[in-house]
Amino acid sequence: MDGKRQQSSFQQLEKLGEGTYATVFKGRNRETGELVALKEIHLDSEEGTPSTAIREISLMKELKHENIVALHDVIHTENKLMLVFEFMDGDLKKYMDTHGDRGALKPHVIKSFMYQLLKGIDFCHKNRVLHRDLKPQNLLINSKGSLKLGDFGLARAFGIPVNTFSNEVVTLWYRAPDVLLGSRTYNTSIDIWSAGCIMAEMYTGRPLFPGTTNEDQIVRIFRIMGTPTANTWPGLTQFPEYKTNWQMYATQNLSSILPQIDQLGIDLLSRMLQLRPELRISAHDALKHPWFRDLLVPQQQAQQAPHLSQQPIMQQPQQQHGGYQQTVPSQQGPYGGY
Amino acid sequence: MSHMSNPLATPRQLYQRRSFSSLPSELQDAIFFATQCLTQAAGVLLKLPQSATAQANVLLARYWLVEPFMSHEFSDISAASIYLVAKVGPSPRSPRHVSNVYAYLLSTSSSFFRSPSLPPPSNNPSSYYLSDSAYQSFHNRILAAEARILYALSFNTHVSLPHPLAVTYLQTLDFLYVRKEKISKRALAYLNTSLLSPQMLYLTSQPNALAVAAIYNAAKDIGAKMPECEWWEVFDVDREELGFLVVAMRSLEGSARKMREDVPAMTEGMITRKTIEDEMKRRGLYAGNGYDMDSKALDPEAEMARQMDEKMAAMEAAR
Repeated sequence: MDGKRQQSSFQQLEKLGEGTYATVFKGRNRETGELVALKEIHLDSEEGTPSTAIREISLMKELKHENIVALHDVIHTENKLMLVFEFMDGDLKKYMDTHGDRGALKPHVIKSFMYQLLKGIDFCHKNRVLHRDLKPQNLLINSKGSLKLGDFGLARAFGIPVNTFSNEVVTLWYRAPDVLLGSRTYNTSIDIWSAGCIMAEMYTGRPLFPGTTNEDQIVRIFRIMGTPTANTWPGLTQFPEYKTNWQMYATQNLSSILPQIDQLGIDLLSRMLQLRPELRISAHDALKHPWFRDLLVPQQQAQQAPHLSQQPIMQQPQQQHGGYQQTVPSQQGPYGGY
Repeated sequence: MSHMSNPLATPRQLYQRRSFSSLPSELQDAIFFATQCLTQAAGVLLKLPQSATAQANVLLARYWLVEPFMSHEFSDISAASIYLVAKVGPSPRSPRHVSNVYAYLLSTSSSFFRSPSLPPPSNNPSSYYLSDSAYQSFHNRILAAEARILYALSFNTHVSLPHPLAVTYLQTLDFLYVRKEKISKRALAYLNTSLLSPQMLYLTSQPNALAVAAIYNAAKDIGAKMPECEWWEVFDVDREELGFLVVAMRSLEGSARKMREDVPAMTEGMITRKTIEDEMKRRGLYAGNGYDMDSKALDPEAEMARQMDEKMAAMEAAR
């Protein structure tokens, strides 16, 4: 946080994305030539510095990990705030669109991405930070095949006491059932649910539960995971959004819905997509799952993988970020996942 | 990142803050105490949980550790810190709401910081009515102060409070075999009072030490029997720090009374920069804010004294 750093220390290049409260530009450090992503946040004349920016900066300053996008600097001027992040070539959504077979990725790429995603999540959770908004647009990918968590605007620290949290978190499609049911005491398990949804989406190229409203989202989840009852989920009736007239669906076999996934992968996925938050696997345990056994030194493998390193990931730099049209309500627009 | 501990003030920061201000230390204390009380009062009127207001108190203290008192109006800094804490927490408050509360607390209709011996002020709504332009100007000042606070704290708004620790510790001590509510309330009262202390206890001690000292004082007050061993060591607090905190927590009442004697204006409502400047004039002290470049240039003697102070500080630091 070098107070002396000026905005002019960075050459502003093309716009990467734009959202409700921030615009992301590609930039270049004039001294070192290093590429950066400049997230420009306009200070709202009514609310002042956005709370999302305050949270993001305070958390990102501390979270230094190879699977979390690095915050290099913050430049605070009278009417705007500029966050200087390490440059990443694009986000997972865009990567799937350009590299996937109708969005679906190759199994070994998925395994590498899932491993890196879980490592990033594990690091957050170890540092008592919930990301709360994991989705493909917030996972940044570079040309070396590294995946890093970005956009900590909705993240928050947790400790004791466990305050009640807002339940307006996480884009609908990746939102955990307990949050959809109105829980305000959720924990690290909400990020695991999102990771499970992302894993399935990488295999199929389509979101697993593309709900349009809170209600619809719940129904879509139950249709596949089965409608819970007070017997299968003690305490279920205590949730604010609990309904007595839910249609009863039987639990589907994940491997019949997702035949692309091998048996071990299905096992991991089903541990992540547990309706009951306390049954969901932790990031720490997920990393030790046998599915990852044939992933040898994931970072290096990813870096050496020819399909990833021979050509730049994105051919159209102008649309690298923010090209994805968001169809569900979200707190934040798609501005490139930073 | 530690969520159980806080960044603490360095001895050098504490020393510099004391010595480099042009304000006499008792005025510094009065400003600190009055502004923290104002923040607490605003927290109550804004219906914020005490956990939020307490965090605002701590952020305010951290801010004043590194920034001069006189650079912003005290009530503005108080409003900005409470606005900021509410915003990043689960219970945000709108700038309008905050401005209404401060307009009321600073008006002649409020009994805030008025001597209890005087009859309560009559409620005159026009005294706390804010015109559009007055609101706009308050709003602008709050946002500017907020940006300044964020800069001074380098965006670290996390505060770890000792309150939940105190209750947890009491649980492990079986509430010292007295009524749970009684001893817990008394311990929390000590922690809340400590937020107001110009000794800035939340910047010199970690939450575990504050919690233990509050329990110690509460137990003394209600005559609860504490374990005979050095039980505080279980909570990683040593005797020396405990002793300091126990005395510091108990001394605030007396020092608050003395402040009111030293600064009579403290019984006439919230003190302002104007109050302090008038007080400085009354005492025949130079009424500049000490950070004004022009006034320094005008007074070579003060400048020399300041330079000597700086040298002393450097020698202190080198030691």
